[in-house]
Amino acid sequence: MRDGDRLQISQQSFHGQPRLKGTGMKDIRDQTYYEILEISPTATPKEIQRAYEHARETFHADSVAVYSLFSEEEVKGIEEVVEEAYRVLMDETLRRDYNQSHLPMPPMAEGQPTETSSEAQGIPGEEKPPLSFTGLSFDAEERPYRGKTLKQIRQGMGIELQTISKEMKISTKTLEWIEEEAFEKLPPLVYLKGFLKSYAQSLGLDPPKVIEEYLRFKEESKKK
Amino acid sequence: MEQDQSIHRKMIWTIGGGKGGSGKSFITANMGVCLSKLGVRVVLIDADLGGANLHTFLGISPPALSLSDFIKKRVSHLREVLIPTAVPNLQLLTGAQDLLNAVDAKSVQKRKLVRSIQSLDSDTILVDLGGGNSLSVLDFFLMSDGGILVVTPEPTSIENTYRFLKSAFYRRLKQSVCCSSVKALIDDALDRKNEMGIQNPHDLIRAVRQIDEEDAQRIVEEVKTFRPNLVLNQVRSKKDIEIGFSIRSACLKYFGIHLHYLGYVVYDQEVSRSIRRKRPLVLENSGSRAAQCVMEIASKLANSHSMANRD
Repeated sequence: MRDGDRLQISQQSFHGQPRLKGTGMKDIRDQTYYEILEISPTATPKEIQRAYEHARETFHADSVAVYSLFSEEEVKGIEEVVEEAYRVLMDETLRRDYNQSHLPMPPMAEGQPTETSSEAQGIPGEEKPPLSFTGLSFDAEERPYRGKTLKQIRQGMGIELQTISKEMKISTKTLEWIEEEAFEKLPPLVYLKGFLKSYAQSLGLDPPKVIEEYLRFKEESKKK
Repeated sequence: MEQDQSIHRKMIWTIGGGKGGSGKSFITANMGVCLSKLGVRVVLIDADLGGANLHTFLGISPPALSLSDFIKKRVSHLREVLIPTAVPNLQLLTGAQDLLNAVDAKSVQKRKLVRSIQSLDSDTILVDLGGGNSLSVLDFFLMSDGGILVVTPEPTSIENTYRFLKSAFYRRLKQSVCCSSVKALIDDALDRKNEMGIQNPHDLIRAVRQIDEEDAQRIVEEVKTFRPNLVLNQVRSKKDIEIGFSIRSACLKYFGIHLHYLGYVVYDQEVSRSIRRKRPLVLENSGSRAAQCVMEIASKLANSHSMANRD
């Protein structure tokens, strides 16, 4: 029954299913890093992170969704491009350079308002996150959400602790303790859950999953 | 004039792909019930060659009348072979073999039959295609307003679905091009061991470009408009649900097509219980989790139907 409850995710979220970025009949070798990750050129680091995790989940040798369409080498090839795309797009400088050489027009080029608006229309559904589905996250067995993982993800997105602190009204110290896994200093469970929820939301992660795995990790380390 | 309008408004959905046992008939029957409860007039067509038994899902004994009575002119109107069900607004049409034979035949008869189906007094037609992969099944899938693939999150089911999708995809491309050498090339491409070394649709388009640029452009256009739908059935975990998104991404990378992930249905013991009782789950146990999932998917179909009418 419990396990079943976890499946009670409303399919409402499917309504917001974004249109995948159109690559048409473009060969993988000709696709931009944005097309590889199925995101728009204006994607935020949060969106890139999520798209990357989805791509990693999808394109690997054991994935049931790909083995019968792609050869092993092809999957390996996609995996490599996905890693490279993630590396470049998550780095502000590299991304800027990449955009200049690979995108037809820099997103904010020319001050003419008419041009800007028509361009914006050319990218349908870009305001939507690449995968609106909250249940979507990487393999729990592989990388459970503990303090260190959360910190890595946050740093990968280039988000400062202060930003989350301000946005979510949580003291920087508490956030640090969460990341450093300083369990003895953390507030009582009820509050901790609330903090973890806010933290997860600010990184675009799945809150119930973050809370569950973080607390499980906390319990396990207590036993040791 | 009135008839023209009713033809215009009708939506024909086909449910196919994968293999037997993925739940196509269960989903077709229950979606039909849901839609009719939403006030949509529905005709279910059982075109499952392997084992036509939609009637059992609806608790009806094997029907005496079928499509062949219409084709052999034992009745004059197609509506006379429609079988009423216990649900208002919901009717059933059986006769898989005849239907698919007719689709296969390039004849006046085929067109007449399709026109008769389209002029039936209903808003939505759901066709259960079964697990078949034959050309006529593919054609019916491609002719419909929306094709729905029902898959379970198992490698065997996904593998078969891709095989079906690949066949349908290449068939659609073949129908869209003009040049006979391009048609032949598409036939060859289906066999991965072909001499041209065409491994995937991307290789194909490159090869077509060298023969006929216009046909290559036709293929590109065709790929853009081919938008099949996906329903993941018997889902047991969150990870299973994610497989649907992975299938979507894999199809985009491989075919360049936009597969729409319509929804999922959770694994639920109530499903087999309802089938044993020969009662649609959404009537027998509408509060069950699987029934809730089917209802959500059906309401999406109803929405897309009303959207289409607004246009």
